[in-house]
Amino acid sequence: MITSCFPIVGGKLDDAGSASRRLKEQLKQIGVDGQIMRRIMIAAYEAEMNVVIHAFKGNLWVRLDRDRFNMEVIDQGPGIADLDLAMKPGFSTASAEAKQLGFGAGMGLPNIKKASDLFEVDSHAGKGTRVRSTIYLKTQAVEQPGGRGLSVQAELCIGCLDCLKACPTRALRVWNRRPSILSTLCIECTTCIGVCRAGVFKIRETGRNNQPREPIAEAAPQTLVIPRAFLTQFGSKIPPRIVLAVLRNLGFKDIRFTEEWEKELRRTVRSYAAEQQLYPVISPICPAVIGLIESQFPSLIAQIAPFMTPIEAAVEACSLRMATFVPACPSQRTLLEQADLSGRLRIVNPAELSGRLIPRLRTQSDTPASIQKQNTRPTRNGSHGPAVLEAWGVDNVVEILEKTEKGLAGEFRILELSCCEKGCYGTPVFEENPYVAQKRWSASGLERWRPVNVVSAKSPYRARTGMRLDADMGKAIEKLARIDELAASLPGRDCGACGSPSCASLAEDIVLDRHPGLECPVLRRGEP
Amino acid sequence: MKLEQLIEAIDARVLQPGSKGRTEIAHVFAGDKMSALLERAGPETMLVTSLANTQLACVAELMDCPALCLVDGAEPDPTLLEAAARGDTAVVVCALDMFETCGRLYRRLYGDDSRRS
Repeated sequence: MITSCFPIVGGKLDDAGSASRRLKEQLKQIGVDGQIMRRIMIAAYEAEMNVVIHAFKGNLWVRLDRDRFNMEVIDQGPGIADLDLAMKPGFSTASAEAKQLGFGAGMGLPNIKKASDLFEVDSHAGKGTRVRSTIYLKTQAVEQPGGRGLSVQAELCIGCLDCLKACPTRALRVWNRRPSILSTLCIECTTCIGVCRAGVFKIRETGRNNQPREPIAEAAPQTLVIPRAFLTQFGSKIPPRIVLAVLRNLGFKDIRFTEEWEKELRRTVRSYAAEQQLYPVISPICPAVIGLIESQFPSLIAQIAPFMTPIEAAVEACSLRMATFVPACPSQRTLLEQADLSGRLRIVNPAELSGRLIPRLRTQSDTPASIQKQNTRPTRNGSHGPAVLEAWGVDNVVEILEKTEKGLAGEFRILELSCCEKGCYGTPVFEENPYVAQKRWSASGLERWRPVNVVSAKSPYRARTGMRLDADMGKAIEKLARIDELAASLPGRDCGACGSPSCASLAEDIVLDRHPGLECPVLRRGEP
Repeated sequence: MKLEQLIEAIDARVLQPGSKGRTEIAHVFAGDKMSALLERAGPETMLVTSLANTQLACVAELMDCPALCLVDGAEPDPTLLEAAARGDTAVVVCALDMFETCGRLYRRLYGDDSRRS
């Protein structure tokens, strides 16, 4: 932070402008961008000339923060009688002498305001006037929203800030009522999709290998890989069996479920875990959980069983044929796009496939579905024995990983963690309640297992760099110190009003310069 | 376009040469209000005005504007030329009136009848 003061003498039109000139020299030394310099000069010169023309004397104060230029021009003079009038373009009280020199066009204050990001003027008649202007030194530091598997329709946002609070990795920001995702922090876990009432967040629809308007299937016999939950999304009148039949009619002769690979993964991890010394072993079932560990719990990476996630293993299994994949969440979509090296794979979002099915299902639902003889014997769902801890929901997952990191989960041999309730049954991409959906599936009598293979991970799981403050560790340490210091000066309410999820996040956003003009609205209002 | 070509088009007299590297002109802005000149002045802009006071040089310097053209054969304040020399701004004066000056500059910059696109 640099503070400077440039005195201005009133009435001396001849050598006016010297304060602005000296300011310019100073700004040149720190390398202010050309367009920003123009705006600062317009504001400074107009303010300086106002003092010269109207007042006796004054000072141009400048405070240069890391991300913004703050100017305050305070004069001793007659003051402005009517501020509203003074802000009106064309209104001027300048002398005939000043007008002769080209001043007094009534554009001074309006021009300062136009050049500024923040502008304020107050005046006391008979005493003087104070003009404040802030200009952000950088205009663009926001990362592009929805970097990977998520799309963000920011214009739908109603500003409730629910997503801000819910995001487990604090990857969301709502600056100027526009939600955006810091892609380096996002693990694509669907939490924001689930909490948003306005439908801002969705699985991204277009990608390099997605041709949404092309007919799905029909031509060559195709393999379709879907989450089972997809079949349960059409209400109690249209059971999974009918959905499956309609999908076959669409041309998908071979329909597979991601759960087939998931089950095999669970089984394999069990025998893998028996040989491990380091407990608990984390089963790579849910790609979002893997992302969470890679970015927030790097010390646990060694405990992830070295296998591909089920959706990746499914891609491997289908690598030699035309296959259509339906991801249950953005993180699966991202993995599919990464895994598709041959370009044979087609990725269709659940909503799009449902859109194709619904007209056909309507005609189907008229034919009475034969009432299946229901097996009312309780099935032993998820009976994994005492050494396997299965947990759902991102809050639970975070809590368990924290415990594990502290060595408090040694009683379990295997952790099977999924970000969504009941695994992919609970992805907010699907509307049906996860418990209802899972029950509907298990009642369908369709459950049969075909042999599939678990695939070893091609490359080891690695820590993500998203949380690093700087590529240079020395600089990162400096930044961390600044973040801590700044965070301590904030109220600590974590209210989210600034658009960042917590006071600590705001401090980080300011130090890392993620957006111009960030400040704490609580402090600005002067509340304790 | 080079400043020299524009000077030639309006038969202007050079009172203060600017630095050689900065005489490429892409735009011309004409006006007599200091605020408007300030807003429109820029690194490749020549300002045309019937004003002739020192503050013109100050505005040009602050906004990195390479050249000032005074019309109506105005006799500038001596301090204007001093200030222009300090700010490395070219000052030329032309005997024509504002309308004629602008007309000729326009034709030289954008061609005979072509509309500015």
